[in-house]
Order: sequence, then C-alpha cells, then structure tokens
Amino acid sequence: MDDFAINTEKLTKFYKKQRGIVELSLSVRTGEVFGFLGPNGAGKTTTIRLLLGLLRPTDGSASVFDLDTVKDSVEIRHRCGYLPGELVLYENMTGTNLLQYMASLRRGVSLEFAEELAERLDCDLSRPIRTLSRGNKQKIGLIQALMHQPELLVLDEPTSGLDPLVQHEFYKIIAEASATGQTVFLSSHNLPEVERVCHRAGIIREGRLIAIEEIASLKERALRRLEIHFEGAVEKDAFRAVPGIRNLQWENSIMRCEIMGSLDPLIKTLAQYNVTNLISHEPHLDEIFMAFYGEGSEKDVN
Amino acid sequence: MSISVVRKVLRDQRRSLFWWSIGIAALALYTMLFYPSIASSPELDQIMRELPPALKAMFGEMSLTSPEGYINTELFSFMMPLLFLIFTILQGGAAVAGEEEQGTLDLVLSTPITRRRFVLEKFVAMLMSTLFLAVILWVSTVAGIAIADFEVNLSRLAEAIFSVFLLAMAFGTLALALGCATGGRALSTGVSSALAVIAYFLNSMAPLAESVEPFQKLSLFYYYYEADPLRHGLDLGHVGVLLAVTVVLLLIGVMTVGKRDLQV
Repeated sequence: MDDFAINTEKLTKFYKKQRGIVELSLSVRTGEVFGFLGPNGAGKTTTIRLLLGLLRPTDGSASVFDLDTVKDSVEIRHRCGYLPGELVLYENMTGTNLLQYMASLRRGVSLEFAEELAERLDCDLSRPIRTLSRGNKQKIGLIQALMHQPELLVLDEPTSGLDPLVQHEFYKIIAEASATGQTVFLSSHNLPEVERVCHRAGIIREGRLIAIEEIASLKERALRRLEIHFEGAVEKDAFRAVPGIRNLQWENSIMRCEIMGSLDPLIKTLAQYNVTNLISHEPHLDEIFMAFYGEGSEKDVN
Repeated sequence: MSISVVRKVLRDQRRSLFWWSIGIAALALYTMLFYPSIASSPELDQIMRELPPALKAMFGEMSLTSPEGYINTELFSFMMPLLFLIFTILQGGAAVAGEEEQGTLDLVLSTPITRRRFVLEKFVAMLMSTLFLAVILWVSTVAGIAIADFEVNLSRLAEAIFSVFLLAMAFGTLALALGCATGGRALSTGVSSALAVIAYFLNSMAPLAESVEPFQKLSLFYYYYEADPLRHGLDLGHVGVLLAVTVVLLLIGVMTVGKRDLQV
C-alpha cells in the first residue's frame, strides 16, 4: 500500500453550487514527480487544498501515505511541504523571521537547508517581505515548502513569477528531491515545464481528470506549432504527405503547420531545401486537449 | 512546538501595545490628577443630582466628590470598558478571520499545527496583551492617586480593573469565535461591537424603563459593573458568568473552525 503517496477516490468538491472537482480518482506513486496539468480554474488548487485538509470533500475521499485527509490531516501536514497557489506571506517579517516561524510550527526544523536553498535561488532573507518583488516572495514560499525535506512536496504553480534562471535552478532542486526519494506533486498550466520535470502527468479540465500519461507518451502526442522560412524553390505539395502534419498553410515562402508526435519526418523532408529560419511555438493547453481528443469531441470526454 | 503563535502575535503587537499603554496610562494619570480640584467643589454633586434621570443612568454614579464615585464615573462606567473593548474586539476579529482574509492562514495551517491549537494560542495572546494593558491601567491609576494624594483601596481598584479585563475578554472572544465560524473579519468585529453597544445601553437604561428591566441580566455589562467592584470587591457569581461566557464562546470558535473549509 505504501507504494502510493497520494490516492484519491472519486474525490468531489462543490462550493455551494459551484463546481470544484468532480469524481477525481488519481494515484501518485511514492518517489515520482507528478505534474498536474490544466488551465486556470480547472480545479488544480481545489484538489491540492483538499489533500492538505484545508478543504473538506463534498464526496469521495483522499489519502496521503494511506492517511485520510480529513481525519489524519495533522500527520499528513507533518510529512508534507506546501506552496500555496496564491502565496501570501507576513509582510512585516523578514524572510528569516518567516522561515523561523514556519520551522517552529513544524516543531523545530533546522534552517541549514533553507539557507542553502536561499543561496541557490539567490534570495535575500534579511529584507522585510513587503519590500520584495513577486518573484522573490515566491522563492521564500518555495524555501518554506522545501526546508524540512518532507516526504511529499505539494507545489501549486511553483514557477509562477520566477525568472528563467531561477526556474532552471528550481528544476534542479526538484530533480534532486526526487533522487533522494521525495515525492513531488506539482500543478502547472505549462506543458513544457511538466514535460521537463515530471515523470507522469494528470490532465484536468473543468474539474474532471481527463487523462494520466507518462511524459514520454505525452511528448509523442504533443502538438507543436512551427513556422519555417524557405529560400529558393520549394515543392509545397511534398509536405502534405509528412506524417502527423496538420493545418498546413503557406504565405509566400513561409510555411506554417502543426506537427503531432515525432518531428523527424518533417526534418527529413526539410533537409532537401534551403531553410533560413525555423520557429517553434509552445503549444497552448487548449491545443493539447484538442490533440488528445480531437476537435469537437471534448464534450464526450468521460 | 512551544507557543510560536502566541509569541508571533505579541511580537507583531509590540508597537501598537506600546501606544495603547501610553494612551491608557496618560488617561488614567490625567484623570486622577484632576480629582482634588473636583473634590473641592461640592457644587458639582449638586449639579449631578439635578441631572435628568436618563443622563444619571448613563453616568451611573451620583457622587463625584468621593474617590470611588469619581473613579467609577470617570474610568469604569464608560471610558475604560470602551477602550478595552475596542482593543479586544479588533484583536479577536483579526486573530483568525483576519489571517484568513489576508491569505496567510493557508500557509500556517499547512504546518502540523491543529486548528484548535492555533485558535487557543490566538486566545492566549489576546489574554496576555489585555492583561498587560490592565496592569498598566492599575499602575498608572495608582501613580495618579499617589501624586494627587488621596485614598483608595488599591486591591479593590485591582478588582475593578480585573472586571474590565473580564468584560473585554468576553467580547474579544465573541469576535474571535465569530471569525472562526464565518471567516469574515469585518462581520465579526462589526457584530461584536454592535452587541457591546446594545449590552451597554440595556444595562445602563434598565433602571429607567420597566419594560427593559427584566432583560438587564442579559447584558454582560450588568455582570461587569452592577456589583460595584471598586467599593465592594468582585462578586464571584458575576465573575463566573463572564468567565463562563468567554469559555463557551472559545469552545464554539474552536469547534466551528475545525469543521469548515478555509477560504482562499
């Protein structure tokens, strides 16, 4: 049983009449990095706050390390680190004060690791939090979630507000945590991020879990939007036959298309021509859903 | 886990508690220093006696020229309950509902502290800072009495101040409990303040209107003031009522906050 860090059974949450999540069943293995992917308002934060016992389920149940999220919330929280999606810190404290406070609420945690993290994330802990930028506040939020090296990290949109360099360092920290056996459950609306740090991903939309995928198969099915600039003569029709190509459009010598799955066949075809530029756009989440379920069929899901 | 939440509240309060202390001490001292000149003008008592009954009821005392009468009128009938109630109701409303509205409660309650423990620690912090103000009030009043050179039973004075403390704790705990139950800071401070005002008038106007009199004992001000602790000491029954109300409200707060969803 201990193979699962998180287990939810038809977990359902309604706020009065408003939907939170509906019959969400999900298992996260111990030691894995699990990405929880979905657009804003899909129910990611609701799920996470249910796991930490901040909300009570309307129906269904959830357990963390086989502990019930309603009955055994204190023990669960003892073994978790949590970064809220809408992070609010005590503005009048310094970073160090805040971490000391959080550590004392956790029955005394050494700040040694927190200081190491602060150094790596380039975060000044001596300044009052009210003087910090959003990104720097986010770093302190991350440090307080990580500092006691919990068995399970629950991170709600961890990279929001972080600049790319810090994001990169954060990905490394997550990989290290995973290597030492910590389980990571992180929510995101950014597919490349999830592809990069996670082993598996659950995709949530309008309160329902619509897929759980290994990252490898997610990549296989991922949709990429490309823009390719040519010089010289091109045989435009040749591209129609490329496997996985969709929405092929031409504007003079510029080709726009979408590719699902491997890029290789397209690259092989491109190699015969003189390509001056190749631009790849990150796919929008909605486009991923389309790729998964085909246009117009999203209503049939579940 | 020690008492981290208590320590944090008191630490956050340092500055405001300092100014509250200054204000209360200054008011008490200033009031005491005025007593000799009031006591030497007996015509004031004559004026008091001729006041309309409604005003008399509001002041609650007939005599300004005895030390007890003067202190009751100036400090305990209105001013000190008012200040102490403002202090505790604001703090009680902010304790849980304030943190919830601000958004910091999510972070704190993601640690292994129980909600019950969190509320209890907030209560203890309120108790300690209010007690601190009560001590300041006693010390500054005693100092004023010493400087102005008149006689008052100082342990009776302590008992009267303790009664203010109990009243303030009851209403502060009401605000705390409402915050626990609803998560709304403005709602809890607003409702508590309104109930305090109603309780005040219910008690002080009761002697004037027969229709109100049966309800006088519903007012917590009755248990605070009616026994006249400055002259006769605390009435244990009345103290018991104030304590019981506080404890029941605290329990309600603890129980309601444990069962509900926290707002984002």
